[in-house]
Amino acid sequence: MTNEDAGEVRIDSESDIVAARKIVRDMAIALGFGVTDVTRIVTAASELTRNVFRYAGSGIMRWRTVTAGEVIGLELVFEDHGPGIPDITRAMEVGYTTKGGLGLGLPGAKRLMDELEIESEVGKGTRVTVKKWRK
Amino acid sequence: MADDTISVIKLHNVLMVTVPPDPDDETVSALQERVLQTMERYEAKGLVLDISTVETLDSFFARTVVETVQMVALMGGRTVLAGMRPSVAITATQLGLTLGSALTALDVDRALDVLDDRPRLGGDGDDQ
Repeated sequence: MTNEDAGEVRIDSESDIVAARKIVRDMAIALGFGVTDVTRIVTAASELTRNVFRYAGSGIMRWRTVTAGEVIGLELVFEDHGPGIPDITRAMEVGYTTKGGLGLGLPGAKRLMDELEIESEVGKGTRVTVKKWRK
Repeated sequence: MADDTISVIKLHNVLMVTVPPDPDDETVSALQERVLQTMERYEAKGLVLDISTVETLDSFFARTVVETVQMVALMGGRTVLAGMRPSVAITATQLGLTLGSALTALDVDRALDVLDDRPRLGGDGDDQ
């Protein structure tokens, strides 16, 4: 368990995907999300962490508590210095993949979370920011 | 390490596999291999994948399950996914996962009923 409202975890190996899932689960439960939202958030985190590992080899996941007026939310940022995404519109299409996956990661994460933002530059890296607000 | 967390149990001619709650990719891949080896060794007719403790079903996990179902089918067996939690079912659907030709059941008990396609002689009335 963690009592801090912000932190980060390195993504360097496949087992870090599980580590990231555990942290996100603990955070989401601590923030009072219901079991279905916890599952949504953890599943989105699993997809996005795997993307970092698959496409960039390594990166970082940052998490923090965010507020908008009275509403509390969880923000997760996935950042890497990998090859970047040449065509973000295509990357958001269901079934589009360049690594032999199902092509569900980004579009799926967008549906599971309330907000998803992608910043990417070819040759520089990618930053995906997702947020989920507690209803 | 991955192999320790997977148990494949043979019960009559059905294989029972309990999937650990939060498996890493390596464990998921090892599970597929173990299942196929055991299918061959025992000439099982079916497989029950108990996913009742699974909290996260992401696209990698789902793809491996779908592949396993297809491979087991090629070996003449049927697979039933048993015990998916409501939160996992909701999430999997929103993520866009489809489980191909996998059969599903609410729990392991009902999964065995699904695989048990022999005609009932006694007619004990508890199946519909």
